[in-house]
Amino acid sequence: MTITVKKVSLKRTASDQIYLPAILKGLVTTARHFFKNTLTKGMGDVDTIRYGEPDVNVEDYYPQRFRGVHRLMHRDDGSVRCVACMCCSTVCPARCIYIEAEDRGGDEEKAPKSFVIDELKCVVCGFCVEACPCDAIRMDTKAHMHPTETRADAVLGKLDLMKRGTQSVAHQGGVGADFRTAAPKADPRFEHDPR
Amino acid sequence: MHASFFATLLSVLRRGMGPWSALLLPWVLTLGACAKDPAPEQVSVRAEPGSLIFHPDTEPLPIEVVNHGKRPVPVQGFQITGNDWSSFSIVEPINGQMLVPGRPLRFSVRVDAETFRGGTLPSAVQGETRELGPDEFREGEAVLAFRVGEETHEVPLTFEDPSWVTATLLPGLLKVVLLVLGFIMPLASLLLWQERKQSAMMQDRVGPNMARISLGGLTIRLWGLLHIATDGLKMFFKEDFIPRRAHRAMYTLAPIMALVPALVVFAIVPFGDALCYERLLDVLAQADVDQCAAGRGGTPLQIAHIDVGLLFYFAIASLATWGATLAGWASYNKWAILGALRASAQMISYEVAIGLTIVGALLVYGTLEPHALVHAQLDSAWGILLQPVAFVLFFTAAIAETKRAPFDLPEGESEIVGYFIEYSGMRFGLFFLSEFIEIVFVSALVTTLFLGGWALPFEMFGASGFAAPWVAQLFFTLVGLIIGATGVAVWRASKHARFVGATMLGVGVLHVCVALFSLMTGWGSEVPHVVVVLVGMLTWGVKVFVLCWLQLLIRWTLPRFRYDQLMSLGWKGLLPLSLANIALTAIVIYALSAAGTIDPEPTDAEGEAAAAQLGATP
Ligand code: SF4
Ligand code: SF4
Repeated sequence: MTITVKKVSLKRTASDQIYLPAILKGLVTTARHFFKNTLTKGMGDVDTIRYGEPDVNVEDYYPQRFRGVHRLMHRDDGSVRCVACMCCSTVCPARCIYIEAEDRGGDEEKAPKSFVIDELKCVVCGFCVEACPCDAIRMDTKAHMHPTETRADAVLGKLDLMKRGTQSVAHQGGVGADFRTAAPKADPRFEHDPR
Repeated sequence: MHASFFATLLSVLRRGMGPWSALLLPWVLTLGACAKDPAPEQVSVRAEPGSLIFHPDTEPLPIEVVNHGKRPVPVQGFQITGNDWSSFSIVEPINGQMLVPGRPLRFSVRVDAETFRGGTLPSAVQGETRELGPDEFREGEAVLAFRVGEETHEVPLTFEDPSWVTATLLPGLLKVVLLVLGFIMPLASLLLWQERKQSAMMQDRVGPNMARISLGGLTIRLWGLLHIATDGLKMFFKEDFIPRRAHRAMYTLAPIMALVPALVVFAIVPFGDALCYERLLDVLAQADVDQCAAGRGGTPLQIAHIDVGLLFYFAIASLATWGATLAGWASYNKWAILGALRASAQMISYEVAIGLTIVGALLVYGTLEPHALVHAQLDSAWGILLQPVAFVLFFTAAIAETKRAPFDLPEGESEIVGYFIEYSGMRFGLFFLSEFIEIVFVSALVTTLFLGGWALPFEMFGASGFAAPWVAQLFFTLVGLIIGATGVAVWRASKHARFVGATMLGVGVLHVCVALFSLMTGWGSEVPHVVVVLVGMLTWGVKVFVLCWLQLLIRWTLPRFRYDQLMSLGWKGLLPLSLANIALTAIVIYALSAAGTIDPEPTDAEGEAAAAQLGATP
């Protein structure tokens, strides 16, 4: 492929020198926008989301993948779906998830005894949701973290998080091949623990 | 570019109107079907002016008897009767003659003021009399009568010596209230909002729309118009900050020095022809209005009718520099003083260009007095046609005088914030307001100098009304349709604009109703004086408003100049061009007068008109 150089002449023509034609062109452009936005239904080209206006429900404007405040999902029996695998707290770049595991009883997985997210530290990256192997943590509430009076109020515990939660539709235990045997080889870049 | 602009405009109107356009068709058809000849005129011979008013120092007043009909009629029997008939006399003896249409009979009437001097006067108290001093005059009246065919026409002659209060103070106050409180202040505050809203619309944003009042459950948002009030309130309640080392007196004086000249220059702007107090409901001829404009029986709609009007403007406008300079100097702030220096240099540079561009117009129209200048334009052609170059140069230099983008270096909000950087609250508000008042003033001056002042184009509206009833019908229909369609489009554009849109639709419908009324009655060519005055002031206001809109459009379209570019534009661009404009205008006028096509020294309005008219097509 040959590279061609396009030469642009910077010489000013007479119509550039007297400014007026260019100015008129500009005025026509802005005037067109003005009339279109003032006089057409729905304000023409104005795409502004009417955030905060009284008769506007902000959530209608949020995209499908909007990341809101976290929630913890429930199992069929209403207990917490999380198995305290620590994936989320490991991947969290802000390191704002604190999990203490306990025995769930029987032959089952662990369960979090406490599950705390410091929403002030959270950078709303959504990695925790990506990392979770069992659809236990989600950020699909479309709710913003409310401003709080104290820092402590912004630290959400297990019950706070579960209050927003519902039953997950995912099948308990998953379907298909066992991910432990079918798992690809670990990426060497992730073997090193930065902590 | 242009084609696409109009295409967009059309599609905007189409989409905005939608089904509404179907409603227009029957109306247009009705218009076509009902169009009929105007009613034949009843009064064909008129004296113009219809009444003469004399003051003690009045020269003999000219009067014309004009035949507006189609056939010649005999006029005769001129005589003066009434109480004080002996004090008035017709200067040239006139005989009865056939009055041919288009050839008015001209003569003048003189008053002997001495007969009214001194003497005794019945006082307001019953039975008492009041002695008049040697400098006082009593009032007197007589009637000039003449016969047209069998009909007798009477022209009242009045002699009066109005006091300073009735001749100067009260009309002055009336005009100040009309102009400043009724127009400038509302428009300037509207511009505060319009600046934000219009820039938003031009940049595909929403702009201010949240200020609202709730009246019994009904929330009125008025398209964000209420932000005018909230802005004002905000300015009043902000901290009034004065820097510690500022010069307190000067610091306080500066905003006033900025605001006062901006308001005072409005004194010379004519915002209408003239107002005749006692004949508001009569149909007047131009001669009547001219008599009122001379201060007899009325007042010109211009606060100060001074012969050197435009020089007065230059004198006062130069003072506006003081506001900016003082503010910068007194603030004790390096950014402020930089802004002040820029402001003074810029304003002085562009004043030269402004002065020289106006000279071209002066050469053509031969007067410095704005009211006469507008009349000269109406007699020939608008300034924008005769002096297009001067129009562009003047508009450019005048925008530079307002210190706004693309000439906003004194403010330079991205670098030095400008000469008012230390000001807060209402002190800053005054600077802000005076900037907008200057915008209004520039628009008013351009309207006066180049856009025919208060007049509608194509001579469609004169002192007695529209040129013909069909002109009135066409005018009101078109204006009504434009306003109404815009109203509908605005209603549909945004929820918050519904009230504004509905109001505009109402105004449009009102116009169409007037057109319908005119269609049925043949009304339009003879309009009461008060309506003529209102239409004139409205026309003037609309022109000024459109120019303000244009200035905001320019301000939000063009980027800022660099300072050396600014100076070279002023001194190397506008100045030589305006000099060339003067030279060219002078040469054309000289050539035309040498060729004998125009009178070299126009002595009256007609001569000027002829000069101007010929200057248009060299
Ligand atoms: S969203 Fe990101 S930062 Fe917030 S808790 Fe999840 S992983 Fe941590
Ligand atoms: S929320 Fe998911 S990733 Fe985090 S500990 Fe629980 S199961 Fe593991």
